[in-house]
Amino acid sequence: MLLQLNNIFKWVNSGGQRIFLLKDINLNIEEGEFISIMGPSGSGKSTLLNVIGMLDGFDEGEYQFLEESVHTLKEKDRAKLYKEYIGFVFQSYHLLDELTVKENLEMPLLYKKFKGSERKAMVADMLDRFNIVGKKDLFPAQLSGGQQQLVGVARALISGPKLILADEPTGNLNSKQGEEIMDMFKQLNDEGVTIIQVTHSERNAEYGSRIINLLDGRMI
Amino acid sequence: MLKHNLLLFLRNIKKHKSSFLINLIGLSSALACVLLVYLWVSDELNKDKFHEHEERLYQVLRHVPDGQGSLATYSSNSSLMLTALQTEVPEVEMATAVFEFDTGAMVKTDDKKMTAIGNMASEDYFKLFSYPLLHGSKHTVLKDINAVVISKEMAHNFFGQGDPMGKTLTIKHGEEGVDGVFTVTGVFDIPVNSSKKFDFVLSYKKFLQRRNTNNIHWGSNSSRVYALLNPGVNIDYLNSKMADFIKNKNEFNLATVFFTRYTDNYLKGNFENGKQTGGRINYVILFSLVAIFVLAIACINFMNLSTARASRRLKEVGVKKAVGANRKVLIFQFLTESIVLSFFSLFCASVFVTLILSWFNGVTGKDLVFTIDNNMTMALIAITLLTGLASGSYPALYLTKFDAAKVLKGKIKTSFSELLVRKGLVIFQFSISIFLIVAVSVIYMQLDFIQSKNLGYNKDNVMIFERQDELVDHMEIFLEEAKQIPGVVNASYMQGGMTSFNNSSSNHRWPGQTEEGKKLTFRHAHVGPEFIETMGIEMKEGRSYSNEKPNNESKIILNETAVKLMGLENPIGTRIDMRGPNREIIGVVKDFNIQSLYDEITPMALLCRTEWVGTLVVKIKSGEEKATISALTNLHNKFNPGLAFNFRFLDEQYQQLYESEQRVAVLSKYFAGLAILISCLGLFGLAAFTAERRKKEISIRKVLGQSIGQVTVMLSSEFVKLVLISILIALPIAYLLANNWLGQFAYRIPIKAWYFISAGLLALFVAVFTVGSQAIRAANKNPVNALRDE
Repeated sequence: MLLQLNNIFKWVNSGGQRIFLLKDINLNIEEGEFISIMGPSGSGKSTLLNVIGMLDGFDEGEYQFLEESVHTLKEKDRAKLYKEYIGFVFQSYHLLDELTVKENLEMPLLYKKFKGSERKAMVADMLDRFNIVGKKDLFPAQLSGGQQQLVGVARALISGPKLILADEPTGNLNSKQGEEIMDMFKQLNDEGVTIIQVTHSERNAEYGSRIINLLDGRMI
Repeated sequence: MLKHNLLLFLRNIKKHKSSFLINLIGLSSALACVLLVYLWVSDELNKDKFHEHEERLYQVLRHVPDGQGSLATYSSNSSLMLTALQTEVPEVEMATAVFEFDTGAMVKTDDKKMTAIGNMASEDYFKLFSYPLLHGSKHTVLKDINAVVISKEMAHNFFGQGDPMGKTLTIKHGEEGVDGVFTVTGVFDIPVNSSKKFDFVLSYKKFLQRRNTNNIHWGSNSSRVYALLNPGVNIDYLNSKMADFIKNKNEFNLATVFFTRYTDNYLKGNFENGKQTGGRINYVILFSLVAIFVLAIACINFMNLSTARASRRLKEVGVKKAVGANRKVLIFQFLTESIVLSFFSLFCASVFVTLILSWFNGVTGKDLVFTIDNNMTMALIAITLLTGLASGSYPALYLTKFDAAKVLKGKIKTSFSELLVRKGLVIFQFSISIFLIVAVSVIYMQLDFIQSKNLGYNKDNVMIFERQDELVDHMEIFLEEAKQIPGVVNASYMQGGMTSFNNSSSNHRWPGQTEEGKKLTFRHAHVGPEFIETMGIEMKEGRSYSNEKPNNESKIILNETAVKLMGLENPIGTRIDMRGPNREIIGVVKDFNIQSLYDEITPMALLCRTEWVGTLVVKIKSGEEKATISALTNLHNKFNPGLAFNFRFLDEQYQQLYESEQRVAVLSKYFAGLAILISCLGLFGLAAFTAERRKKEISIRKVLGQSIGQVTVMLSSEFVKLVLISILIALPIAYLLANNWLGQFAYRIPIKAWYFISAGLLALFVAVFTVGSQAIRAANKNPVNALRDE
């Protein structure tokens, strides 16, 4: 068991009314799964992903991640947990414009106390694996969308996470680029990485082993 | 990580050059301003601190009722005070009396001569004061009545590299009647941070010898008296004990004696009705505050620009948080950036200061040197670190507080409190700027008023020069010949300088004197015949001193105030005892200002006398100055061959009374300019960012039909409102402080509304201009471009 959500509720108060973003979510995810979260706009897909990624909190319920109770952890320990085990991929890549490909890849390692030589080796490894050695000194603006997202995935992967959370990773890409990214996810999943993606596309959802459908914050 | 952050920092700078430049220019010029003020302030605070026993070194002052209900403070004392302190006051370890020449003395050897400033000081002078002695012993240099101790420069001038000890100098001072041969017994040096500068010191015995012993009493005050107190003396107790010291010696003398620290003389030398009211320390405080304010304005720019462009850095924060950076690391990163920027600014500021230091020295009249010593380094590092922390803390805390998820989703909205902080900071900046503008204009107006005020005498085209060498004996002949020169209107002589008629006396007698009258203190000055005509002073009644009338020396002329306070109905012909018995009042002059306009006119007596007067005054016709001056120079050279004709004009001397105000005015002008410049830089940056932030709104408004003009007004009005609020805050404060400052002048300009209105308008105009240019640019953009972004 990688993670388990029990009766998760999340809400905001607006004009005296409680609006639920997530309502009674129960979810078990095993290591090695490839899960797609689907649903219309505003159904709570991204919110759920952020809760799983510990970037966002919740108001009620329990969350176990690798036998740890996330809801009881302190902010510091929670950060330590997701730093070590979770990588993020974003729809709009979120590469730092002022850093080159190589430097963008290196950045997560800076916050994890790797030595300089180790970092170099890991970056080189990643560049190699994603076939982007030739692009290592370019800035994000000099790359196509697909290439940028490739760097985004590589960055998510560099510190060897158990879980990758991808929020519409192909949303800003054309179909061919999207396909390449999904193939990459499939390959990673085959190597044992657990992947949870949010997507609108039925085709992309089919890459996964399980689909979770959300509507108005509820699993259906 | 550091390398990474540095790269990010540098590339960010490259990308956003304008905000970087705004920050750099703002911080550098503010730091340059702080550096200059620091140099100036530490120089001021260090004045006279070189004296070894500085903390026990005191000056004896007197408070005397001025007969008009308040106390006047005098630094002069009777020479009797010296022996009295030495023998009767056990708290005094050592004391010395000094008589300072008002004007230069003539110093000669067989082949060289020069004018020099000197003192006559009693034996312990060099023991009390730590002017280093290069030759001679501090215990003995002033022992002999014909001893002279000279400065290093003077020794060099007269004796070159040779040994000056035992050599003789002829020293002549007309006004003080010194004329004789003196033997060099020592050579002293004057440290740069000494507030007193002089070239030679004679023995006080010479002073005592020259005064008729009858003339030495508790009412004749011409010396300064200094004392070294024993360690641990409670000064308040001593002052209460000493208060009636003179009264106990002489019941008619109303002076109260008290001690003040010698070093306070320079910084806190002003007294008003018996209370210490500061002095130069006020300017030290003022400029320190101004420097801090200017720095604060620059720091505010940094904060405002960093938070305003937060949207650009927020992504970085979000991504870094998502990949595992904690808040502490990010705060550290932002603080490092601002500190690095501050140090870079410090570097620019140092270069700038090095370049303009000589200009600054000219403005302040100082000899500051920008050397990096330990103290300086520590102070600089501390100031720069503080600047970096102050300007970086708010952005660092602000930027790093958001949740990564929200940031990356672009859900951060500018919060109300953030806007409030930013607006508050802009208001603060502009309030200070507006206040400084008002301050500068009030100071300038007042100085202008002083320059043009009718003083009761005509200071224009009056040449003054010292009575030296041959002029001591042949002054009358010189004056006769000078009057023959066609361009000369009149000529006479006086004691000291017109603006330094400081001698005073009390305890005078006249018929019908009231009890109040007994307490009156008079200023008195010795002048020559036709002095009143030469200076253009108006007679109210009676006649002036004239060469045609005999016995000028036993007559007296008073000013209007004196006559009024003495209660004399028909003053002319009345006989009074003042500086000599039974003088006949022959004239009354209309009041004229001799002191600076800080002071009210006090009772004054003009006495006629040829000895002890050291300054010649010559009134010349305007339009013929050049020819007249060259004729006078020739005449002077005929009397004093080989001696330079050093003359000055009276109005220059008058200006000197306001030297510190002039300097303050010039300095505050620059500081105010700097403050408003930095404020506008910040406003410029802020306006640019606002325009960018509201890009979409502007586009939609334009698509819906708003004109460019309307959009411009809309964008500008946001800032104009802030400046208007600043005006409302700054003007009342400026009014109060201006009133307060002007209050110390007896003659002052009325405060007029338009000083304040124009300062406000100026700030408003500059702000509208700055913001308007940005607003017009934003309003002119093609709306399609902005809307396509979405």
